[in-house]
This record gives sequence, C-alpha cells and structure tokens, in this order.
Amino acid sequence: MRVLIVDDHESFRRLAGRLLIAAGFAVVGEAADAASAVREAASLTPDVVLLDVMLPDRSGVDVARELRTAVVNPPRVVLTSSRSRSDFGAGFSWPEGCDFIPKHLLSATSLGALLVEP
Amino acid sequence: MTVAFPRWVVVAGAALVAGWLALDALRQAQLGVDDAGLWFVVFAGWIAAGAVVAVSRWPERRRMALLILWWLACAVADDVGVAWPGSRIAATIFLLALAVQPGAFAHMSLAYPSGYVRDRLDRWFLVIAYGLGLLWELPPALFADPRACSGCSPHAPSLLFTGHTFDLLPVGRVFWTGFIALGLAFIALLARKLRHSAPGALRTVFPLALVSGFAAVQFILLRIAWLTDWNQSLSVLDWIGRLSLLTVPASMAIGVATIRRDRGAVGDLVVELGAAKPGDVRDALARSVGDPSLELALWIPAEQRYVNERGVTVTAQADVSGRAVTIIGTPDQPLAALIHDVSLVGQRPLLEAAGSAARIALENARLHAELQAQLVALRASRARIVAAGDAERRRLERDLHDGAQQRLLALGLALQLLEDNRGDPGLLAEAQRELQAALHELRQLARGIHPAILTDHGLSAAIGSLADRSSVPVRAEISDARYPPAVESAAYFVVAEALANVTKHAQAQSASVMVTQNNGHLVVEVSDDGRGGADPADGSGLQGLRDRVGALDGRLSINTSATDGTTVHAEIPCAS
Repeated sequence: MRVLIVDDHESFRRLAGRLLIAAGFAVVGEAADAASAVREAASLTPDVVLLDVMLPDRSGVDVARELRTAVVNPPRVVLTSSRSRSDFGAGFSWPEGCDFIPKHLLSATSLGALLVEP
Repeated sequence: MTVAFPRWVVVAGAALVAGWLALDALRQAQLGVDDAGLWFVVFAGWIAAGAVVAVSRWPERRRMALLILWWLACAVADDVGVAWPGSRIAATIFLLALAVQPGAFAHMSLAYPSGYVRDRLDRWFLVIAYGLGLLWELPPALFADPRACSGCSPHAPSLLFTGHTFDLLPVGRVFWTGFIALGLAFIALLARKLRHSAPGALRTVFPLALVSGFAAVQFILLRIAWLTDWNQSLSVLDWIGRLSLLTVPASMAIGVATIRRDRGAVGDLVVELGAAKPGDVRDALARSVGDPSLELALWIPAEQRYVNERGVTVTAQADVSGRAVTIIGTPDQPLAALIHDVSLVGQRPLLEAAGSAARIALENARLHAELQAQLVALRASRARIVAAGDAERRRLERDLHDGAQQRLLALGLALQLLEDNRGDPGLLAEAQRELQAALHELRQLARGIHPAILTDHGLSAAIGSLADRSSVPVRAEISDARYPPAVESAAYFVVAEALANVTKHAQAQSASVMVTQNNGHLVVEVSDDGRGGADPADGSGLQGLRDRVGALDGRLSINTSATDGTTVHAEIPCAS
C-alpha cells in the first residue's frame, strides 16, 4: 500500500511515516499543506492519503473531496485530527467515501483494519 | 446679533408711508388722474395696519418689519414723481423706486418670517432681481425725456439724462422677457420654500407665499400684456395686482396669528411636560413647535458633550443643510440644544419659549440622559469584556491544540514505535524532546492564563519576572507591598500588555515600569522611548486593559508621541 501523509506538524509526519513503514506500508511522500497535497497526490498517485482535517491554507475536508473526484484511480482518503469525531459535532459534513481516525488512535493496526474493508 | 432699533421709529415710518399713500390717493382722486383713488385709501389703511401689527405684536421681528417698510417705501416712492411732476430729483427717485420694487418685494417675501435670507439660491436670486431692476431703468434714466410727452408724470427727465433720446421700446422688450423669467423663478423658489418648511413653520409661511405667488403671476401677465400690446387686459391686471397687494398685510397678520397660537401651544407644553416621563420631552417639544424631525441634544457638563435622551452622543451642529440649531440656556452654560428644520429659524422666539417652558423637564431629562450615557458605556464595556473572554478562550483552545496536544500526540506515536523497536536511542531522545517541549508550552500557557508567581509572591516579583523576560531592557520600581488579588491582577496585565506592545510596536531602546501607591490608588506607569503611535481604538489590547481597569473603578490613560514615546498610566483604587 503506497501512502501519502498530509499534516502541517513536521514531527507527526515523520513519526507516523516511521510507524507505517515499520508495519510494511510504503510511505511515498509527505505534504505540509493543501496545495502541495493536491500536487503530490496527482504526481505520486498513492493508494491512500492520510490527511489532516485542519491544514494551514485550506480545510482538509475540501482537499479530500477534490482528491476523491480524480478521474483515474482516486486514492482512498483517511482523515485524521487531534480532535475526536464527536468534537466536530453532528452538523459537520464529512466528505463521502472517506474514513476518519483520530490521531491518538492512529496505529498501523487501526489503519490496516480500516483499509482491509472495501 | 439683533439690531437694537426703537419700535417707535418703525411705527412712525409705517404711519408716514400710510399717510403719504392716503394723501396721494385723495389727491389723485381729486385730479381724476386715477379712478381707483378709493382703492388706494383702503390699501394704505391695510398697509399701515399690517406694518403696525407686524411691529407691535412681533417685537423680535424688527428686521422683518424693516424689510416690509423697505418694500412699502419702494412701492410708494414712485408717487414722488407725481407729487412734483416738474422736479428732476423727483423723477430720479421715481425711476429708482421702480427699479428696486421687484427686488424689494421678493426680498421681503423670501426673508419672511425671520427677516433673514439664509439660502444661497435665494440670495443669488435677489442679487439678480435687484440688478436686473436697476439695469432696466438705466436706459430711461439716460435717454428718456418725458417733457416730450404730454400726459406723462413725472414731467421731467432724470438727473442722469444725457440730452439724447431714442426709441427705448426694443430695449424694454428684452427686459420684460427677462422679468418674466425672473417671475417664474420666484414662483419656483416660493414652492421650494414651502416644500422645505416644517409643518409648524408652514402655517406661518403659507399665507404670504400664496399671496406672493399671485402677485408674481400678475407681474408676469402684465409683462406678457406689454410684450403682446394686449392693452385691453391692462386695467384688469392692475386690479388683480392691487387685490394681491391688498392681501399682503392680511396674510402677514394671519402668519403672526399662527405664531401667537403656537405660543399658546407652549402653554399646553407646560401642562404636558408635567405629566411627561423622562424620554418623552423631545416628543412634547416636537409637537409644540410643529416639527416632527426636531432632535433634542442635552448638554453633559462633566463630559463636555451632547447626548440624546437615550444617552447616545450627538453633535449639536447644523452640519446637514436644511437643519438649524437653537441653544437653550446660555452659550457658556448650555442646558440643551434643539436641532430642527431650518424653516423654524423664523420662529426662534417660539423655540426659545418652548425651551424655557421645558427647562425643568430638560434638567430632568439631562440627569436621565447622563445616567443613560453611563449605562450605554457600561453595556459597551460589558460586551467588550465578554467578547474579550470569548476571544481568550478561543486563543487558549488553539494554543493547546496546536502546541502541547500535538507534542503529546507525537510522543504517543514515538512510544508506539519504541514498543516495536526496543533499544533505538534516537527514538527515546525524540520522545523526551517532545515531552519537554509539551511541558514548556503548557507552562507558557498557564502563565498567560494567570501567573502563579503573582499569586504566590506578589506584584513586585511578577513584574520583575516580566521585566526579565522582555527583549527590551526594562527598569522596574515596585515596592513589595501586597494588594487585593483583583488589583494586583489588573496592574500585572497593564504592565504585561504595555511591555508586550513596547516589544512588538514601539522600536524602543528601553522601558520603565513604576508602581506606586498614592491617595488610596495603585498607580501604574509604563513608559518607553520608542516611536509612539499607540491607539486604544486600534487593537483590542489597550481597550481590554481600559475595561479591566474600569471594572475596578480605575482609570487608564495613554499618552503617545513620536518624540517622547508612549506612556500608559493606570490608577486603580485599592482599599489598603
């Protein structure tokens, strides 16, 4: 599984990358903001994008929608956040076809379990 | 400034004019020159009555009375030529009177009832009216010799007569056309005056405006008749003219009567104000002077500003055209200002009478408004304090989320990795760095919320710590005394915010903090030698400090200049 990690915190990108590599994922790239995330996703065509909900330049939710509309092989998008799902409230519109893992529950096992599902 | 002018001069002038008219009419009737002698007698009686009414019942209107007399004088001066038919002086006065008559009539009509022509358009019109009149009579004065005409009166040329004569009819036609345009413009100005009048003033203005309109129509028709040689209509038009002039004094008497009646309304106002609640004084005043748009501005001496009855600051200036201001009280010690329709200027005595009648109610309204103004300020500061609290919580949430929480999440990931890669020293060191960083950020945050050093060791130690951390050298003078927690807290945040501004904006070389106790107040002063420019209205920081200090009944002032830097001065009452 080829993974692109998008997060504005450098230490999170680095450690999450190492965690996924140790579990057998191929981390093909990193991006610190929405603009470079879209660019990297287009050039690297990863299978999975691990995407922070709050990015400095745009909302990660917008980026997720954009990535999912890619014509050829849209990647699976897993949104992450330091907040839990309930913090976003019932009215929050999650992008369709995307998963969510709060950062404090992120591990190779939890990500793997999510990606096994079709 | 009002011109002190003895009333008897005006009365005597009116009597003189009226007497002259009556004598002249009788003489003309005897001579059979004019078949309308009787009309002139009636006319003279009316004019005398009108002028006397205007002066005796209307003593504040001396200027208006003088304008009326000016017009009457112009209207009768042409009889000088009839009285001394052979005199060249009389002939000159006759021509001059004819020249000035249209202007004088328009002047009186447009200035009514105040006696002043304030509108710029009206002033220009009068300049043109007087100017055109004088130009019109210039050719006859220079080139006409009535001695050649048997029935003419006066029967002498003017003093300016050159000795040459020629046919003046073509020149006359040009001027008649000009006068027709002038008449139409006058009617338009009258309509404009009526439209812009407040209902209360309209009652006074309308009768004379109506009569003036009729006179203008007659004036125009007469010139059309001259242009078209339609002489049959001349006698009819003369009659219409006399009729309309006859009604001038009557219309003024009616106008005066409405002012008398409005004075009665002031009497009603006194009764009404007795029952009025504070806040209703404006409405009662507006009703009694007949101007629904009237605004009431109450003077707050302590704050040197005007407020309305709800305590909101207002400017008592007639900055919008069409508005005027009447001050109640003296200019040095105003009680209130009435901002009203400019057409009520002619009724200033009425406004002043209403203001005087309302004096006690105004005093009450002022106290009420003062209270309201304090309430408005209090509400605004309360809203700002709540908003500042909300902003502070949002900032805390963001700081926690972006700072310590991210560090701890990274720490969690590092620990997960450590579980799988036991013995990786790089990972352990990274985990430790993240933990230290998280602790540091939490300490910073806690200090921002409330510095523990302030609670534990007091203002002197806390400000010392602020001074140590500042990137600009700070000299601090503070005693070790302790004060109530709220006072210490406010003083601390004044210093913290002021020093933060020094670092961020002032480009200062050094700063000093002085905290002293004076007269039951803790006095905090933070000054720097920077470039100045601090503005409480600019960011919320200084305004927030002002609210914080104000909540303890303290005062905060800021002096800032490009040469002397910025000084923030706070005085906080401290019961110790």
